[in-house]
Amino acid sequence: MIAKSPRWVPYAAWLLSIIWIVPLIGIVVTSVRPQGDTIMGWWRLDHIELTLDAWIRVWGKFKLADGFWVTLQLAGIATIGTMLLTPAAAYAFQFLKFPFRRTLLIIIINAFVLPAQVIVIPLFTLWRQMGLIDNILSVLIPYVGLSFAWSVYLVKNFLEDFPKELVEAAKIDGCGPITTFFQVVLPNSLSSIFAVGILQFLFCWNSLLIPLLFMRSELPLPVIFAQISGQYDANWDLQAVAAIVTTSVPLLVFLIFQRQFAGGSLATSGSKE
Amino acid sequence: MSEVALSSRGSDGKSSQVQGGERRLTPLRRWIADAPAAYLLLLPVLVLFAFAVVYPLIQTVILSFWDIKGLGKPKFYGLGNFVALAQDANFRQAVTTTLLWTVSTTVISVGAGWAIALLCSLAPRQTLIPRVMIFAAFGVSEAVTGYVWLQVYRGNATGLINAILNATGLGAFAHPWLGDSQTAIWCAIIAYSWAQTGLPLLVIYAATQAVSRNVIEAAYVDGASAMAIMRYIIAPLSMPGVRVAIFINLLGSLRAFDTIYVLTGGGPVRSTETIGYFMFRESFTQFKLGYGAAATLVLLAAVLLVSIPAIIQRTKVTT
Repeated sequence: MIAKSPRWVPYAAWLLSIIWIVPLIGIVVTSVRPQGDTIMGWWRLDHIELTLDAWIRVWGKFKLADGFWVTLQLAGIATIGTMLLTPAAAYAFQFLKFPFRRTLLIIIINAFVLPAQVIVIPLFTLWRQMGLIDNILSVLIPYVGLSFAWSVYLVKNFLEDFPKELVEAAKIDGCGPITTFFQVVLPNSLSSIFAVGILQFLFCWNSLLIPLLFMRSELPLPVIFAQISGQYDANWDLQAVAAIVTTSVPLLVFLIFQRQFAGGSLATSGSKE
Repeated sequence: MSEVALSSRGSDGKSSQVQGGERRLTPLRRWIADAPAAYLLLLPVLVLFAFAVVYPLIQTVILSFWDIKGLGKPKFYGLGNFVALAQDANFRQAVTTTLLWTVSTTVISVGAGWAIALLCSLAPRQTLIPRVMIFAAFGVSEAVTGYVWLQVYRGNATGLINAILNATGLGAFAHPWLGDSQTAIWCAIIAYSWAQTGLPLLVIYAATQAVSRNVIEAAYVDGASAMAIMRYIIAPLSMPGVRVAIFINLLGSLRAFDTIYVLTGGGPVRSTETIGYFMFRESFTQFKLGYGAAATLVLLAAVLLVSIPAIIQRTKVTT
């Protein structure tokens, strides 16, 4: 800003943002205070003692380590799947001519409005008939299948600005469509594929409804955490640790890759002006 | 943009003729020339998309015409599920709750995000860390958001709000916030809006930063104060960002599930059930699959209604 802005602006912004994250501070403070103190309220100052007790005990009390591993697997495989399959489809839609191209494209990219609730009932009956309940495929297939609705759009958008000359040059040099994809387009669109990967990882890591319905024994963190937070035990210190464990990875990824996240989530919502 | 891509394909065909390396293709041949390669590249995407989206979508419509309870034999029910929904007081309440929830969370989060974005645009550099802090709330898992606010609303004196009320001598207003069906829905709305504000903040702040420096300089040279520049230049020019933010928030709050599941579980007395939660309860705790499917179609209709402009725009720019 060129004009001199009022001096209170930064103070107001700081004050507001600190109030904003008080609920989060509460969780962090609760996780490092003795259980007896947390029950009185995490803000109490009459007896200050910090302990990592909850951080040590929580692994024996809840299956968080297993959950962490399961979540990492599910989110990781789904992310790799989307990152591998999306670019080929986006390339075909952008650079190749084939029957039903426009129809297929319109159906796929508009499916981004579908809530997960619309697909879970038939999938539940289908997985039950196929014996896939509690199989990781029951979660991975909707994770990856649903992602195409926004990932194809995002990568295709990127390819619209891709230099056509490169594709044409490859064709003149005798490359077929598939060789052109692997040799020319794919190596030069990694940034958009990476943005897709970050979004997909966050969505899958945080997903609750789909694994809640389809998984039984190997549960990812959000499902485990939802069960933990529904307990009436006053083990708030342990619950706070579980909350931090559940959300730490996506929160870090989110903060580190803010830029990619912002670009990606805008493109997926159809706002490219 | 895409027209350019198309025309380049046209000239593409011509250039290959000039090269003489390829035989002439009739229009039909050219149309399907890439087809085998294209379908090969698309195959995995189409199969998974069909499994995860097309089949379930069609099946949801079909299921909504059947009466299915648990593992019992399905009976064809015609429009019976929809008639039953219309007569179900719980569903009517879910519709009202959905309306209140969707509109309120969008108004609050976009309103707050807009206000904070405009405030921060007055001092971009000094407000970087506050912006990131507010944005961070948006990066917290939705399930964890529910839990974080559970601690704030707790009914006895150990909840943060009640503790503040007691400490400031307003103890008479202390309340079991989540235990009262009048206040529980607002608790859920505030928790969800708190988390969602980060996105409008980001989108609208980006729009304010995209306002041309020249415009602002010209206004400054003409003697406009910072507040006037804000009021007459930056605020109006941030409107495209606001529109995008409203759409994203509407879509997000219609499908919201996680925060409600953890914070209130739909209660008390089903007062915080949106349609997206109602279908879960009917289909997966009462096992009325057909009834739940009919409810999700109502949800889908609402989603499509708010998405019409986005769908038209996407379809138009897509060739």
